[in-house]
Amino acid sequence: MTPSADNAVLVAGVGMTPFVGFRNDASVRDMVAEATRAAFIDAGLGSSSTIDMGVAAYESDHFNRQMSLGQVLSDTVGLTGKPVIRVEGGGATGALAIRTALMAIRSGEARSVLVFGGETNGRSVDRSTAIELLSMSADFEWETPVFGTFAAPYALMITEHMRRYGTTAEQFAEIAVKNRRMALDNPLAHRGMSITVEDVRSSAPLSDPYRLFDASLLSDGAAAVLLATGDWAERHSPTSSDRPPVAILGSGSATDRPRLSDRPEQMFPHFAAKREASTRAYREAGIDDPPGQIDLAEVYDSFSGAELQAYEDLGLCPVGDGGQAAAEGRFDQGGQVVVNPSGGLMGRGSAVGATGIAQAVEVVSQLRGEVTAARQVPGARIGITDTHAGVGSLSVVNVFGMVG
Amino acid sequence: MRVTGTEWVVGPDGRAVYLLGVEMAQRYRHAVGSSSPFYEGLERGVLRSTRCRECGASWFPPRRFCEAHLTETDWYDLPGTGTVTAATRVHSPPPFGGIDPPYILASIRLDGVTGGITHRVMGAETPEHGAAVVVKFIDEAPAHPLLAFAFTVEGVTP
Repeated sequence: MTPSADNAVLVAGVGMTPFVGFRNDASVRDMVAEATRAAFIDAGLGSSSTIDMGVAAYESDHFNRQMSLGQVLSDTVGLTGKPVIRVEGGGATGALAIRTALMAIRSGEARSVLVFGGETNGRSVDRSTAIELLSMSADFEWETPVFGTFAAPYALMITEHMRRYGTTAEQFAEIAVKNRRMALDNPLAHRGMSITVEDVRSSAPLSDPYRLFDASLLSDGAAAVLLATGDWAERHSPTSSDRPPVAILGSGSATDRPRLSDRPEQMFPHFAAKREASTRAYREAGIDDPPGQIDLAEVYDSFSGAELQAYEDLGLCPVGDGGQAAAEGRFDQGGQVVVNPSGGLMGRGSAVGATGIAQAVEVVSQLRGEVTAARQVPGARIGITDTHAGVGSLSVVNVFGMVG
Repeated sequence: MRVTGTEWVVGPDGRAVYLLGVEMAQRYRHAVGSSSPFYEGLERGVLRSTRCRECGASWFPPRRFCEAHLTETDWYDLPGTGTVTAATRVHSPPPFGGIDPPYILASIRLDGVTGGITHRVMGAETPEHGAAVVVKFIDEAPAHPLLAFAFTVEGVTP
């Protein structure tokens, strides 16, 4: 079931800044302005006056040094007077903002919604402060006192995955290698690298079996997308009629217990919320054979093993087969589904509020055939984004595809 | 809040850009609220949790109300034993300090309750899945009250 452009929610424009370690020349509002301007140009808009509302995506008042940032960003991008909703969903913040905009358009509340997100997760915040702030994403009463970085709960999950399914550290190290290599072909990526499995395994230990190169990056960056009805796009976005339209075909979200250790033991090494979110999103999009129908996926590779687990929980391979899939390169460029052609959080980087939006920028640009030749997935027609908060306490999966 | 300094630096395009050094310190009186009886238990060396007065369901961590019916819960003492689901050696200290890395962290399913806890296991060896552990009160002046206890693998002297 592919929606026609008449009733679909279209992506009329996309834009993002480079993700970098520290933008010493830009505040978070500057970056959001840059990303939004890029989305405006992409949509061919002359002014913001025709946009019905804004959705502001950012995770942390502490990282950004600004409360009520939604209104500040809304003002910065020229939406003063229009309604704005600030959305927060941990690592899933950006994707949840897109989902919120989708719901606003589906409900009839708005015909066009500008989604803009940004975060200064990079080196403007000193390392010990960043670790302290991020540790509050765990359960402050029951978890934060006993572990300081998310390497620990991710390590517990993958340890059990290794025991149950024979998954190896070398298999998930392949993912760390793949995503950094993919990022070399993305001019907006934070840090592409050419490394080996041995480099990953010999990097500094974080929480066994995870090492430094199994982890993702903290970046400064922003991203924006403009969602609209077909009617609105036809009337206000001249570029939208010049290219094959990309629509949101489906969206799903679900939650899980925020703490790892009180989840049902059977699901311990799995992202239950991701399974549910993807099932719902696929149902809306008419996807019944994910690896056969999905061409590319931007997946939440906060840790290398989390991408491996996501292969399974997103239905891209059977449960327990993620390690084998990673070793075979089944989700590498040229594989069955290309996962993280942008470089993912490990290579493109992660500025939390922008991350799920930047994934959408990559997927939409891929579907339009507009990315650099080296990372272009040939003939891509359907792509998904996958993000989660914590170790899967909230998951959002959005499905994008060509219409018409 | 205070400004710790200002500087002009060279931006990516070669132009001079201005930076402010800012320092903020937050201080709180954090109410643990309905979990207070858990901390009372720690003072007498037991782990406690809650169960529903109506349906008998129990959870760890404790809950203010039954998750299914939002009805009252009662406190009870746990045996303090459990089973390891997975364990890892962590190479950085927890945010409140109190443990020198590397240290062993485990996901532990607790006996006598549905649920479990992610917590420290004493000793240098990483326990296997299925290892039986028992709570041990180790510190009368911990860096955080939750670090007053840790677990030990049964039959192993740390």
